[in-house]
This record gives sequence, C-alpha cells and structure tokens, in this order.
Amino acid sequence: MDRPEYLHSINTGNVSSYNVTNSYNSTTNVSKVIADEYPEIMRWLSPLDPGRRHHDVRTERLDGVGNWLLETNEFREWKSGEGGADKGVLFCYGNPGVGKTYLR
Amino acid sequence: MPTTIDISSLVIDSLCDGPCEGDIAVAMFYCDFRDQQQQTATDIVGAILKQLVVRGKVVEQVQTAFQKAKDEGGGRGLRLPDMVRMLTRAIATLPRVFICIDALDECLPKYQLELLGSLKGILEELPSMRIFVTGRPQVETEISRCFATSVIVPISPKRNDIERYLEKKLDMDTELEAMSPALRADILRIIPERISEVCARESIVPVHE
Repeated sequence: MDRPEYLHSINTGNVSSYNVTNSYNSTTNVSKVIADEYPEIMRWLSPLDPGRRHHDVRTERLDGVGNWLLETNEFREWKSGEGGADKGVLFCYGNPGVGKTYLR
Repeated sequence: MPTTIDISSLVIDSLCDGPCEGDIAVAMFYCDFRDQQQQTATDIVGAILKQLVVRGKVVEQVQTAFQKAKDEGGGRGLRLPDMVRMLTRAIATLPRVFICIDALDECLPKYQLELLGSLKGILEELPSMRIFVTGRPQVETEISRCFATSVIVPISPKRNDIERYLEKKLDMDTELEAMSPALRADILRIIPERISEVCARESIVPVHE
C-alpha cells in the first residue's frame, strides 16, 4: 500500500497501525502538499508524544493480565456505544502499582 | 501487575486490534506526574487530536490554522477552545472514536478539570464517542463532577493475574541455584494469599478468585 512518508511521524509506537493508511487514500492530494510540513504541524499541535509511552508500556505488559476486564458487562456495554452519552465514560480506578508494592 | 497503566494499554490494544477493526479510531494519552508542567489540558487535547488528524480528515483545517498562526507571527499554538473545536470536527467524521486517558490524577488538578470539561463538551455533541479513563479512586470525584453518568469499574489484582506475574518473574530468575521446586511452590502459594490479606485489610480494592 502507498504509505505517505510522514505517517511515520504520527506515532512512534506500534499503535500507528490503526489503519491510518486505509482511510487516508481519499485525501492523498492533500498529503503531497503538506508532506514536508507535516512533522512541524504535528509538533505545533502538541509537543507531547503519547505513542512512545504506549509502546514502552505494551512491551512490558504481561500477556493475559487484566483480560477479565474485557469480559465484563460494563466494558462490553461501554464499548458497544449503545448507551449513548449516558454510557460514554468508563472509569477504571485502582492504585498505580497495586499489588506490586507488596511484592518488594 | 495489573496496574492501571497495564489496564490502559490492554484496553487500547484490544480496541485497536479487536474484531471490529477498520471503523474504530483510538487516541490515547498517558498522564505522568513527572511531566505535570508540560501536560497542560491544551497540549493533551492537541496530542489526542494529532492521532486523529489524518483519519478525521481535518488535515486541511489544521494546516490552515497552522499557516494562520505562522502568518500572525510566532506560530503560537491553538487555544484550548479552538483545539477542542478542531478535535470535535475530527471525531465527527469518524464512525467510532475511543479516547483513552491513563492516570488522570497525575495531571495537575486544574488541567484534569479542563480536560474532562472539554471531553464532556465533545461527548454532548457526539454521544457515540467513547471515553476511557483510569486513575486513583479519588478521581471519581472529578469524573462525577463533570459527567452526570459514567460506568465505573474497580481494578483489583485478580489471583491469577498475580500468579501469572510471579511465574514470569520466577522464569526470569537468574540465580537458579537458590531456587527449588518447593520454594517455587511456596512463593506461588503464599504471595497471592498475602496480597489478598493486605488488600482486604487495607480495603484497597477487593480481590476475587
């Protein structure tokens, strides 16, 4: 697939694969015009780069841990989007490092 | 082991790689107390927008705004309301958008409220978008201050999560001569029990089998 060069700069983490390229083809003309400017524009929008952090975290994450959440009705219902704005927010709370602290 | 950050990363991956694939767009942000000063509400919304610019087909609008800022001198960044408006426009063009914010409590309080307020405005306009937030229990106050309703799930260390974590640590143990099958079995039995006790006593979060 034709992958505009600047797409690499969108995300340094693996998540950039969320089909950016698929839906992009329709606006290829624009891409040619701003390809050079794109990284600068992205930095202007925000200097923060969340993709890198995600990449680090997912590398460290243990397979299978936390999968139970994905099976809960709360999660499924929220994800389905059927509840509209009333079910628009899923808040998961815990203590950062809960458990880990006690293993030292 | 499941820390909230693992949960965030898991949720993000499950949304990105899930069976509904193509029509889902996911944007994320990990708050970090070490970057509190840099992680302003405006820059967080900007970082979310960055991830949706191309798919949300607002490349042209963003470029125009950028050019305008440059022409007016200095190339100053967008203000929060403008950033939110641009993000709303991007989300409106996409069928299903998920925004995931990890560790909201690690943001400065004023930015937490600005961020939640911004997301609330977008959700009111686009009720099918989805927002995922993790944080310490006390963040619930901020959440319910901004959103009349929300789905709330406690993240508790499940026993098999703990066992899985321990097994991995044991498998990576470099001092094998100090380990024996009996010791290994003890570790895998006693530590999960002990964590359950501590959690129960301090009522941090319930532990389920």
